Amino acid sequence: MAVLANSAPHAQPHSHPTEQDHEAHLREEHLMLDPRPRGEMNAMVMESMQTTSWKFWVVTAILVVVVAVCLVYYWGLMISVGLGIAGVNRPIYWGIFLVNTVFWIGISHAGTFVSALLRVFKAEFRRPFTRAAELMTTFGLVQAGLSIFMHMGRVWLAYWLFPYPNERGLWPNFHSPLSWDFLAINTYLLSSTMYLFLPLIPDLAMARDRSTGWRKVLYRVLALGFRGTEGEWTHLRFAMNLFAFAILPVMFSVHTIVSWDFAAAMRPGWSSTIFGPYFVIGALQSGLSAVAMVLIVVRGTMKNMKYFIRPEHLDALGKLMLIISMAWAYFFFNDYMVQWYNGDKWTDILLRFHEEGPLGWMWYAMLFFNIVVPWLVLWNKNFRRNPTILFIVGFLVNVAMWFERYIIIPTSLSINRFPFTYQFYKPNVEIPLSIGTVALFVLLYMLASRIIPLVPVWEVQEGQMAHSLRKYGKETVVTVRDLD
Amino acid sequence: MSDKTMLLALFPDLDPAAHAVERLREMGVTDDHVNIISGIPVTDAMLGRPKQPSNVPSLALAGAFGGACLGAFLAFGVPNLYPLDVGGQPLFPGPPSIVVMFEMTMLGMLISTFLGVFLDSRFPSYTPKEYVAEISDGKIAILIECQPEEEADIETAMTKLGAESVKHAEAQTL
Amino acid sequence: MAKHNIPEVKANWDITPGIWGMSIDMDVCTGCQACVAACAMENNITFVGETDSGYGRAMHWIRIEHTWEGEYPDVAATSFQPVLCQQCGNAPCEPVCPVFASVHSQSEDLNLQVYNRCVGTRYCANNCPYQVRVFNFRDYDRPEPLPNQLNPDVTVRRRGIMEKCTFCIQRIHKGQDLAESEGRDVRDGEVVPACAQACPADAIVFGRLDDPESRVSIMAKNGRGVKLLEDLDTLPRVTYLQEEKTHGRTG
Repeated sequence: MAVLANSAPHAQPHSHPTEQDHEAHLREEHLMLDPRPRGEMNAMVMESMQTTSWKFWVVTAILVVVVAVCLVYYWGLMISVGLGIAGVNRPIYWGIFLVNTVFWIGISHAGTFVSALLRVFKAEFRRPFTRAAELMTTFGLVQAGLSIFMHMGRVWLAYWLFPYPNERGLWPNFHSPLSWDFLAINTYLLSSTMYLFLPLIPDLAMARDRSTGWRKVLYRVLALGFRGTEGEWTHLRFAMNLFAFAILPVMFSVHTIVSWDFAAAMRPGWSSTIFGPYFVIGALQSGLSAVAMVLIVVRGTMKNMKYFIRPEHLDALGKLMLIISMAWAYFFFNDYMVQWYNGDKWTDILLRFHEEGPLGWMWYAMLFFNIVVPWLVLWNKNFRRNPTILFIVGFLVNVAMWFERYIIIPTSLSINRFPFTYQFYKPNVEIPLSIGTVALFVLLYMLASRIIPLVPVWEVQEGQMAHSLRKYGKETVVTVRDLD
Repeated sequence: MSDKTMLLALFPDLDPAAHAVERLREMGVTDDHVNIISGIPVTDAMLGRPKQPSNVPSLALAGAFGGACLGAFLAFGVPNLYPLDVGGQPLFPGPPSIVVMFEMTMLGMLISTFLGVFLDSRFPSYTPKEYVAEISDGKIAILIECQPEEEADIETAMTKLGAESVKHAEAQTL
Repeated sequence: MAKHNIPEVKANWDITPGIWGMSIDMDVCTGCQACVAACAMENNITFVGETDSGYGRAMHWIRIEHTWEGEYPDVAATSFQPVLCQQCGNAPCEPVCPVFASVHSQSEDLNLQVYNRCVGTRYCANNCPYQVRVFNFRDYDRPEPLPNQLNPDVTVRRRGIMEKCTFCIQRIHKGQDLAESEGRDVRDGEVVPACAQACPADAIVFGRLDDPESRVSIMAKNGRGVKLLEDLDTLPRVTYLQEEKTHGRTG
């Protein structure tokens, strides 16, 4: 049981009623100040994982159908018939598939941001939802990988991007940003899956101790025989700290390398030196909004989650979303201002095409939903703490970020230095395939929520142990011990 | 040496467990005959235990070095073996080589850290071990390896300090 | 194997004029599209059909760009510009292919497209500033008796593969093989790509740029000669001879 000697009510000397109200309020507000016995929290997480309503299965069934039709069928068709049924042409050789790739990699950065960056900065509020965010990383990267494979002309030869010795003496070309993409995305996928798994081991052990039947077999195998001995914790803690620090440069490098797919090319509007940080911030923007959306859904649909995910977490996420939106606006303006100021003739044509062309509405929508909506809404604490409002803002931000990538890829590719080749992009089979990837993401997440304990209970208890309330003069303040 | 027995003392909280560790040291049980099993990571400092050795840092470093070597091979070794001219770029291009080496170094370091945890903790291991399910419910267990003669004394001492139960540790399948 | 002499800093590179090159006289070009047709026949280019062509998927390796000034009927200075792969010395399509399907040939100083290696990521096409690369979006039909017309010297490409003008490398190799078997060098004018062969106005001249006496070298040094998008430093091997200024339309 966590030791919070000076916060347990019966241990308090008689104090002013408002004091106790204040403390009760603190306890209600902050998960870290509201400890429950570990056994109880374990039971809550297990219950939330194992209680499944019929509505869940209906949604799952619908998603399976959507994935089967939109993803499996249409992709199979495209592989057998060729990319002709997609909307790509000359000069728009890259279309929605690449947009989706960048979009999903962006979403996947959310998990790393929450579980690594917040851990490094010792932001205690991250504790209950690191795993929920990390799951988004893994499943988001799966969708990104699928989108990459979808855009390839001869996808059955995709293994040629892998460096392996062969009798033809042909290796991948590491001059190419796509090869760096291959290395970086695979590194990131492996690293974040490992980083998902390491803190999961103690929770799998807990699940093993508390389940029966097929679940017990599954968790027994996956928990690897973890007990919680000093040695095991030492190794695990060092590894988790190292991962938290090391995965941050990997995260930055991945989306920077993705941005170099465009920045290294000599297209007007693409060869911009600010693309690296611009894309990283864009990834955080869409990722954090997606985390907020997922957490609100989890909190609303899964049992007992309202104890773990509280308005304080939504509040914190909302603040982060606001800050990142400001950073995004800064980088967007950097890119735009320099192009507008001294861009060449083709960049001028491109900018005009963005703003006044047939997709001008998309450009304005992007700016409105990425900048105006967060700045107007998220400064207000009550709006941030309201799940519906935060969900809507998160959704609009994600839509705007998808538009941003659409503007950068197909819309910008319409314009090049040979007006004779200008064309307009009309997506075709990309639309069901995009829907399919979204459906697959949600499906995987839903299935994972049945098998993986979504809240890292040991981390929550660790945090609760480190927090206490103490008196500072007349005021009750929160004290956090540095656990390392 | 006569055969040792393993006792498992279960404590509900951190403070009594810390006192118990101290008491065991006073009673002459050496540190390497004591092991702590807990549901959350209790640092060595919290219980007054000696620092646990771990190979994971050195494995991480070795992995980083291995990854860097792989990256160097891909960036410099392969174009040496199979040179191909592309786009007016030199055969060993500077910036791309840095990118490749960085990614491979990080990959090497992270994979070896991960495998290092497995190696050091002897994962996966499905043989029966001393454990009780209450540990994952937040209790702290102290595994004591002692002579059968000392058993009774240790049991009394632990119970006096607040142990919920002291019994022979049975190796059970987890 | 020849030395790979590209230095780390491009400014230190000893730039050569190239080996095989072309000059196109825009003053003489009538825009008849004979070169387009000849190239399609020589290189087994598929027929894409009206819908796909209209959507920008036409597979012409050479295209005639028609530009003019003014509005009909007061149109002046119409000009025709055949645009084909410039076989850049500093080709932007080459470094970006992840599988080395687009590489530089040292012996011919041409940009090679290796059909068997292409996996269809299309980065090369995005990076080509001249937009001369085309992609096989489908397996297009070749109804009988069109297969009888296929050139056995050139691969037939399937879907998912990039392709582009090769300066009729099959004819270059044939010419070189013939010359070698006769124990001599290739004569100027002996190797003629399909477009040059078909042009009725003899606007396209092909030959060795490293031979200062060849016809193409002399044309390339002409005062009217310009390169396309020269400031991008792609080092194209095709010189375009601009028109002499004419007063309004001819004829």
